[in-house]
Amino acid sequence: MIYGDKKTGILVQGATGKQGEFHIGLMNAYAQQVGGRGVVAGVTPGKGGQQVHGVPVYNTVKEAMRDHDIGAAVIFVPAGAAADSIMEEADAGIGTIVCITEHIPVHDTMKAVAYARVEGCSVIGPNCPGLLSPGEVKMGIMPAQLFSRGKVGVISRSGTLTYEVVDELTRAGIGQSTVVGIGGDPVIGQTFTDVLERFAQDPQTKAVVLIGEVGGNLEEEGATSTDLPLVAYIAGRSAPPDKRMGHAGAIVEGGEGDACSKIARLTKLGVPVASRPSEIPELVRQLFCGC
Amino acid sequence: MKLREYEAKKVLKESGIPVPAGVLVRSADELASRLNEIGDAIVLKAQVDVGGRGKAGGILAAEKHTAVAMARELFEKQIKGLPVREILVEQKLAIVHEYYLSITIDRAAKAPLILFSDVGGVEIETMAKEHPDAIRKAVAMPLMRDLPPFMIRELAGKAVKEVGPIINKLYRVFCEKDALLAEINPLVVTSQGVFAADAKIIVDDNALARQGIFVNRDLSEREREAEKHGFSYVELGGNIGVIGNGAGLTMATLDLIGYYGGNAANFLDVGGGAESERVMHAVRLVASLPSVNVIVVNLLGGITKCDEVARGIIAAGIPQKVIVRLAGTNEAEGRRLLSEKGYEMLDTMDLVVKKAIGVAR
Repeated sequence: MIYGDKKTGILVQGATGKQGEFHIGLMNAYAQQVGGRGVVAGVTPGKGGQQVHGVPVYNTVKEAMRDHDIGAAVIFVPAGAAADSIMEEADAGIGTIVCITEHIPVHDTMKAVAYARVEGCSVIGPNCPGLLSPGEVKMGIMPAQLFSRGKVGVISRSGTLTYEVVDELTRAGIGQSTVVGIGGDPVIGQTFTDVLERFAQDPQTKAVVLIGEVGGNLEEEGATSTDLPLVAYIAGRSAPPDKRMGHAGAIVEGGEGDACSKIARLTKLGVPVASRPSEIPELVRQLFCGC
Repeated sequence: MKLREYEAKKVLKESGIPVPAGVLVRSADELASRLNEIGDAIVLKAQVDVGGRGKAGGILAAEKHTAVAMARELFEKQIKGLPVREILVEQKLAIVHEYYLSITIDRAAKAPLILFSDVGGVEIETMAKEHPDAIRKAVAMPLMRDLPPFMIRELAGKAVKEVGPIINKLYRVFCEKDALLAEINPLVVTSQGVFAADAKIIVDDNALARQGIFVNRDLSEREREAEKHGFSYVELGGNIGVIGNGAGLTMATLDLIGYYGGNAANFLDVGGGAESERVMHAVRLVASLPSVNVIVVNLLGGITKCDEVARGIIAAGIPQKVIVRLAGTNEAEGRRLLSEKGYEMLDTMDLVVKKAIGVAR
């Protein structure tokens, strides 16, 4: 597993909001199931002293850090406050910061990610479903029942498409080491390259599935950076230029970042690219048996 | 959202970047009454939301005595299918030299990327091919309010005195206006000084409200209607309507339709928490596209409640066939509700897509 394990104490920023409350419940149900620590503290300014599903809520991250051993944070606050939350957590020294919030202005994200980098913290997201290491830890909103433990890492710019692929893998008997949703925005903290670097250090992970989409060239950058065996899928072959396909980052601009050229470059790097999600398990199997 | 040229130039002017003297007019008569605000040599520039307007006849050189008649003609023209409602009438610059300056976002560096070229007035793509040595790049540090002087010197080279201050001013505009792109091409040197002869600014859609922009002109009417419900929506022109949750899954559904030889009519991502009313609006919106004769609904998620989705589809009550793939909680109840009303619910996205293509034919 990467970014955290059973022993990682999680802080939830935006703990008393509808989303925060709901997902504290699900994250701690998962922690209970696998024997992990789960969410140990929540933060909502002005709501200190309350409890959410038995988890104590604090006014500031630093107050929560005084009472608890915290290794990761998950952010559920509205878009206007999310960059501030990232910086508050980085300033407090939380190593892994997962930002679920979408619609954050990109200039805010650039500042917050740069701030976290200065503090030596890793930001996952924004606009992402978080991560899940089956049997170890869940940080975010991924539906745990679809996952199974194994040796394949997954990195994805998408949410539900990740669940689709994980479901296909699990049904095919291929377990996952860690599944990371890196987010659908044009600027994100951890990129394919960053997560692949973690996977390369992780003895459990033997191969990685990259789920990319149109826009930018971070998939190719990632594929170039690693020696790990990879399988890729790129969504958006049918995306017209200059139209945002749901994700702020899923846009073909100035003829760049279209699916066909991405697939061509990945293929040139020797990465098998699935033509549809249901093809992914077979391609992963071929990596392992070498046929 | 892309600002029109006159809006972008207004932003630049307010930030201390010189722009040519000019007036925005909405009719030829208005120009007649304001003609003496401009010099003798004049440029008429149609303000249409489309690229390549120069080649399409949207930019015309005129003189004082011909300007009104030419404007009248331009107002009657269509530029790439768009009517001309506004013309920016500017003083023509006596060009000594042209530079290129733009700021965008570098996804890999996660920071603003500044491009400066000694050769301006042509498309950056053309420039990259023909004069690759003329282009210089620098990546800014997002936590700083200004570009450090060394970076400006590296970018501008010999032109630093002439254009250095403008580079930093444009960087400020880029940050303060939440821009995804701020471009001056060409940046023109004249005997009277340096001017932004053209300007392009694209504002981040996620920052429109705080920039005081309340209508996103880049969206069509139907796209705006979709936005009101919180849907991401794009029209594609085929006959198979598509509704999914999550951008990636919805895109993958479109791609699968293409893979099996069909034509998708649209992209519609209903977003998170698809309860019955949202699903109903989504189904009706897609069904209202005249070309759509079948709709694929592909919803997946641990927290999506299938019975809610089923109720939404039934409540929409549309004439076209709806083929459904649902995975989540209360799956059995959703399946029961749908089959009672004669809808088909299939297990995988490959199956729903193949089925829909059969129906569409």
